[in-house]
Amino acid sequence: MKTILSAVIVLLFGLQATVAQAADAYVPKVYGKKGYVWDEMTPERVQVLKQKGDPVNGKEAFRGCQGCHKADAAGVREGVYPRLTGQHASVLIKQITEIRAGIRKNPKMLPFVQDPAISVQEIGDIAEYLSTLTSYRENGKGPEDLSAKGEKLFMTNKCYTCHGKHGEGNAEKSYPAVAAQHYGYLIREMNLIRTGVRGNSNPDMVKAIAKFKQSDMDAVADYLSRLPDYRTLH
Amino acid sequence: MKCKYNFEYMQMRALFALFGMLFMSPIYAEAMPPNAAAASEVAATPEAPAVALSPFEERLQLCAGCHNPDGNSIIPENPKLAGLDKKYIRRQLEAFKGGDRTNPTMSSIITMVDPKEFEDLADFFSKQKRTVGTSDKADLLGQGRQVFEEGVIGTGAPACMGCHGEDGSGDAKFPRLNGQNAQYVVNQLMNFKSGTRANDAKGLMRAVAKRLNEQEMAAVAEYMSTLKEAE
Ligand code: HEC
Ligand code: HEC
Ligand code: HEC
Ligand code: HEC
Repeated sequence: MKTILSAVIVLLFGLQATVAQAADAYVPKVYGKKGYVWDEMTPERVQVLKQKGDPVNGKEAFRGCQGCHKADAAGVREGVYPRLTGQHASVLIKQITEIRAGIRKNPKMLPFVQDPAISVQEIGDIAEYLSTLTSYRENGKGPEDLSAKGEKLFMTNKCYTCHGKHGEGNAEKSYPAVAAQHYGYLIREMNLIRTGVRGNSNPDMVKAIAKFKQSDMDAVADYLSRLPDYRTLH
Repeated sequence: MKCKYNFEYMQMRALFALFGMLFMSPIYAEAMPPNAAAASEVAATPEAPAVALSPFEERLQLCAGCHNPDGNSIIPENPKLAGLDKKYIRRQLEAFKGGDRTNPTMSSIITMVDPKEFEDLADFFSKQKRTVGTSDKADLLGQGRQVFEEGVIGTGAPACMGCHGEDGSGDAKFPRLNGQNAQYVVNQLMNFKSGTRANDAKGLMRAVAKRLNEQEMAAVAEYMSTLKEAE
């Protein structure tokens, strides 16, 4: 009896030790905390980028995402769930891996995207699949047309240096496309990035947007929501 | 109160099932003198079938007692098996057998069934046509449709149709829900929420059910019981 007991105790301690070790392996570095580096190449992201994504597997894996992002990946017009179609694969991979790592906060989505719901391979597969989709379903726009004011703010505050003159973003640098995204989502993200709550803010963007009033963000969001999907430009 | 009633009811059902097992088991048949067995059969079924039942047909009779001969159970707590994907049915039978999924009634029934029979049973029920119910609870139906098509935005419950298909027809991974008995659906949602049922792949359905309250469960179950397969 005694030996069994001690064996169990040894086993339990062993287990605890391995669990602790696994947790030690990667510590998420969140915006505003010591050691934060924007665009950190987390071990998982490096792994995803090394693999080749398979769009057929991606389509199957994406079924678990459709309940929120919808079957055409165009999200919902109110902006609770963003449009994923038209976003650069590099940006999708950055966001998904950072959400899984706990850098970007997204508790609503986490159970459906964390391991084991989605495997490391499936992250790349989904990104590949989403880049084959061509839905241009109408996105949510602001209640009144503020695009003149929005455009001015976007250009004078140098937002375009990263997000592009047409809101097309930059695939190589993982700057998201912001054209034709839902109005409600754009407003929410500007606030979350500015306050750092999102967890993966770009420090230069925080500086660029620091002096914005809420009405400025509303105008920029309205402007971007009325831009055509950049894929229709080429 | 309601809980207690349900529990006693379940126990009764389990007893009933055990009784059924004894009655239908081959041991019972062997123990009885041949003519007594024949006599009781004649008494029970005045028009005795001309041809003897194959072992598979006999087995189907066991299932039919609770799930109906065509797999469209009329007892509200029992699931309709008709039109469920074959692989899904197999997986559930294996889960009951191995104890990954438990239910007082079905867990005792499964002890009588040999895993070698699973394939044929799954095949048979998957090929039956699913019937669809009706409901006059207009208020529940409206809310239920919203949960099915849009989910619950506040808690972040995803729309059911995202995984189970736009018309709820489902497949091997995400089971058919259209036409399913509402009470059975509510029971399963409660089981997923509490973790009593935890054989869903990757915990996906538990994550969904945790974000539904009892009102939303009742509404979506009522709606799905009336949902027809798309043409
Ligand atoms: C329960 C609902 C839900 C499910 C299921 C879900 N998501 Fe999301 N997703 C969200 C929400 C909400 C956001 C926006 C969060 C925010 O406001 O920061 C989001 C954001 C994202 C983003 C970031 C988009 C951007 O422009 O930065 C990506 C990428 C994404 N989801 C991919 C997925 C994938 C892939 C799946 C399936 C494996 C999935 N999501 C499943 C709710 C969900
Ligand atoms: C230095 C480059 C840079 C500048 C300048 C910049 N951004 Fe960003 N922006 C980013 C990056 C990078 C992200 C995504 C955050 C991340 O890395 O996870 C982002 C995200 C966003 C988003 C959310 C998009 C999404 O899909 O989630 C909006 C909206 C946005 N920026 C608006 C602006 C506006 C308005 C300005 C000007 C005031 C601006 N940005 C300036 C780099 C920049
Ligand atoms: C005494 C009644 C009874 C009998 C007999 C019975 N079942 Fe069941 N069965 C149930 C109940 C009750 C459930 C629901 C269990 C739960 O709530 O988890 C169930 C569930 C199931 C399920 C799961 C369906 C789903 O949608 O997940 C399958 C498959 C099944 N039964 C197959 C069979 C087969 C095959 C037979 C014949 C060998 C059989 N049952 C005989 C009562 C019965
Ligand atoms: C992210 C994908 C996903 C979404 C969204 C989803 N489900 Fe499920 N559902 C599953 C999985 C996985 C199973 C379990 C399959 C198994 O046991 O193998 C399941 C099983 C079920 C079952 C049990 C069926 C049976 O025959 O026993 C019910 C009932 C159910 N879901 C209802 C719902 C309802 C209602 C919603 C919407 C509120 C919903 N599901 C949304 C993935 C999902």
